[in-house]
Amino acid sequence: MTTASELKAKAVAEIDRRGDELIGIAKTILDNPEPGFKEFKTAQTVGQAFQRLEIPYEDGIGITGLRGDLKGGTEGPTVAVMGELDSLKVLGHPHADAETTAAHACGHHCQIGMMLGVATALQAEGVLENLSGRVALMAVPAEEYIEVEYRDDLRREGKLEFIGGKPEFIRLGALDDVDLAMMTHTSSGDAAAGSIAFGGTNNGMVAKRIRFLGRASHAGGAPHMGINALNAAMIALSAIHAQRETYQDPDTVRVHPIITQGGVAVSSVPADVRMETYVRGARTEAFMDASNKVDRALRAGAMAVGGSVEITTLPGYLPIRSDESMLELYGQNAAGLVGKTRVQRLGHRTGSTDMGDVSQLMPVIHPYVVAATGNGHGIDYVVQDYELGVLTGAKAMAMTVIDLLFDGAKNARRIAGEYRAPLTKESYLGLMRSMLRESVHSE
Amino acid sequence: MPTIEELKSIARAAIDDRADWLIDCARTILENPEPGFTEVKTSRFVSEKMSQLGIAHQSGIALTGLKGVVQGGRPGPTIAVIGELDSLRVLEHPHTDPETGAAHACGHHCQTPMMLGAAVGLLVPEVLESLAGNIAFIAVPAEEFIDVEYRWGLHKEGKLGLMAGKQEFIRLGAFDDVDMAMMAHTASNSQETAKFALGGTSNGHVVKYVKFIGKASHAGGSPHLGVNALQAAMVALNALNTQRETLRNEHNVRLHGIMTRGGAAVNSIPADVRYEGRVRGRTAEAIADANEKMDRCLRAGALTMGGSVEIVTLPGYLPMKNDPDMMDLFKQNATELVGEDEVIEHPDNLNRGGSTDMGDLSQIMPVIHPYTTAAVGSGHSTDYVVTDYEQAVVNPAIAMAMTVIDLLHDDAHTAKRILDASDPTMSKSQYLSFQNSRLTEELYEGV
Repeated sequence: MTTASELKAKAVAEIDRRGDELIGIAKTILDNPEPGFKEFKTAQTVGQAFQRLEIPYEDGIGITGLRGDLKGGTEGPTVAVMGELDSLKVLGHPHADAETTAAHACGHHCQIGMMLGVATALQAEGVLENLSGRVALMAVPAEEYIEVEYRDDLRREGKLEFIGGKPEFIRLGALDDVDLAMMTHTSSGDAAAGSIAFGGTNNGMVAKRIRFLGRASHAGGAPHMGINALNAAMIALSAIHAQRETYQDPDTVRVHPIITQGGVAVSSVPADVRMETYVRGARTEAFMDASNKVDRALRAGAMAVGGSVEITTLPGYLPIRSDESMLELYGQNAAGLVGKTRVQRLGHRTGSTDMGDVSQLMPVIHPYVVAATGNGHGIDYVVQDYELGVLTGAKAMAMTVIDLLFDGAKNARRIAGEYRAPLTKESYLGLMRSMLRESVHSE
Repeated sequence: MPTIEELKSIARAAIDDRADWLIDCARTILENPEPGFTEVKTSRFVSEKMSQLGIAHQSGIALTGLKGVVQGGRPGPTIAVIGELDSLRVLEHPHTDPETGAAHACGHHCQTPMMLGAAVGLLVPEVLESLAGNIAFIAVPAEEFIDVEYRWGLHKEGKLGLMAGKQEFIRLGAFDDVDMAMMAHTASNSQETAKFALGGTSNGHVVKYVKFIGKASHAGGSPHLGVNALQAAMVALNALNTQRETLRNEHNVRLHGIMTRGGAAVNSIPADVRYEGRVRGRTAEAIADANEKMDRCLRAGALTMGGSVEIVTLPGYLPMKNDPDMMDLFKQNATELVGEDEVIEHPDNLNRGGSTDMGDLSQIMPVIHPYTTAAVGSGHSTDYVVTDYEQAVVNPAIAMAMTVIDLLHDDAHTAKRILDASDPTMSKSQYLSFQNSRLTEELYEGV
């Protein structure tokens, strides 16, 4: 009888055999960065790869998402392996699109390579037939929660309900039949280069789309006839900062607004000033409390100048929790690939990911392959080690899928059975919808 | 019977005779500065001097004020000659009281001696006998509208109605028998070029007494359990500064204030922060507009932190308007004293950014409030020092005495003409109801 180790060896060998092709796909995506819900070229690249691999798939899920399914030899649970389609926008990144400023400054281009690597590996001769269940290969849009105004307009037009890809996948039912999920993110770090890190937690968040409304007037001739919306925003920013000492350290609250429109002509009193911000925190209660404080600050800005403010609070991402049992399987596979000393556990991270949302519904893991250098989301974040960033990342996930679904999917069934979901799909959607607030304040 | 010119010469000579005595009085007051409604020593000193001159007077009007009315030879209108008792507070002024920080950095120490000087001239029997009417010699407290918390406390205790000297004198009826009034204020040579400067207007204002209320908590151990009232104040003051571009230059709006309490202990989240502010402007409308802007900002600060703010708005001063006919008289007398080149009359559209409660009086009767240029430095600053006491005390005393003679001589026909022609902006009761309507208390809770 075949053993899991034999299957893993076949899977690993298949990834190595198709290594150049997989890395090539990652690099193609690197050179064609597209921000969330606009990943049309990237989705096409994934679709073509599915076709080459003869994997039946659906596309257009959450505008640009795809899902292809591989069936094991017998029935069993479904494990999702995800990759994120979208890029960030970072001005001046070496791989930025000159026109859109889109850039893969967060390594998502490697994720699609890893996901397709898993697909490739599982198609190695004799692997799938020895697994029980299904593997859902997902290319998910829009993990970076950016271009809030654009996406909120899509929401208002009814083309989206949520601003992130995975929440949309959940809402649209693309995860309804999924029992466990995994994905791997790249990370950077000189000291940790070449290692794989996993576990830990992430901040959750809400996002805000903000519009200060004033009254235009000649800024030189009649400033007294105007109401300066930019001043309202400045006051609001100061007011936001004035509250930082009220955030508790363990809650790792982050509030970091940008101004997306600050006036239209320097000689006209700004009458329509727009901001976007996240409000993040380690606990849902913490970031919702901070969100209230931010709202007070925004209202105060409008109040001070005698203008008004429209605040749209959009549900963001929930804090992530990785499943310990899945991590255990993954950790062993990772250690087998890179060596025990290059496997590390993570603590709390203050960024956010919509994998956190998935983690509220099912067991997930979200490990990191330390394949890049530079500062994440900075201009110098560049993946250096494609062998690790694509191939090793794919191998570790493929091996873990085999662990889960081999032997009648004994492990997957155990882990899914032991998992106590904080939320159901319905309660998740209810929570997310309760976070949506649209209000106008003129006080 | 002596001519008016002879009477003026007699008065002038009498004042000149007492010049050293008057200047000594000013120097004594300079060395004993007391802020408004605490001018106990100053009031006692001026009272003694009035008694020495034989002026029967009441004391304790509006806590520290004095008033003595002297009758002329025949009945007629009553002219008030006013001097202000109070000092300012300016730390590190060369004449600062080290204990209280009080200092005469606005030259009020010269004003009661001017008033005494005018009395010296007018009380010469020959002069007094020829006048038809009365002269009210008034030492009035608290022209500087400072120590707002203290005065608001006196108000709450029922010891004060309105919270500045002339305002309270009006309310108490101490000006009921007065028909017209005058006083002279010192000025610095950095402001004025001539020895006497007349005319112009001054800003009105309202006064703010503001208390940001938060919640105390250990500032290191549990800042999240506190509500920081100092941050509320910071946000409010930043917000206030952004409003400035909406204020019209021609309204001469001034928004300014001081923080009188900013927290009790650095390791405790400030829960009670106080701000005393001022909203000045040239017209009642400009003041009301700017005041609303200040209130918005104060509320915004409290809203930000989820605290609350108590905003007390105290009726401040009304814009000053000089009676043109009285000013003409004073101008002629001043010219006689110092020459034409040393008297300047500012146009009506010259508005001073500062404010005086003589403005309040100017709304209900004809008044003048000329300036005598006798100091150097910048008003209300550490370097504002009276250097020319002759011009600070003696000359304005003489000019005022001469102007009173002009008004009340010849059966007071000039005073009567001016009173007939005058058209006060408001009556005393209108004044009081307007001022009372400006006294507001608001508690805004930021949620």
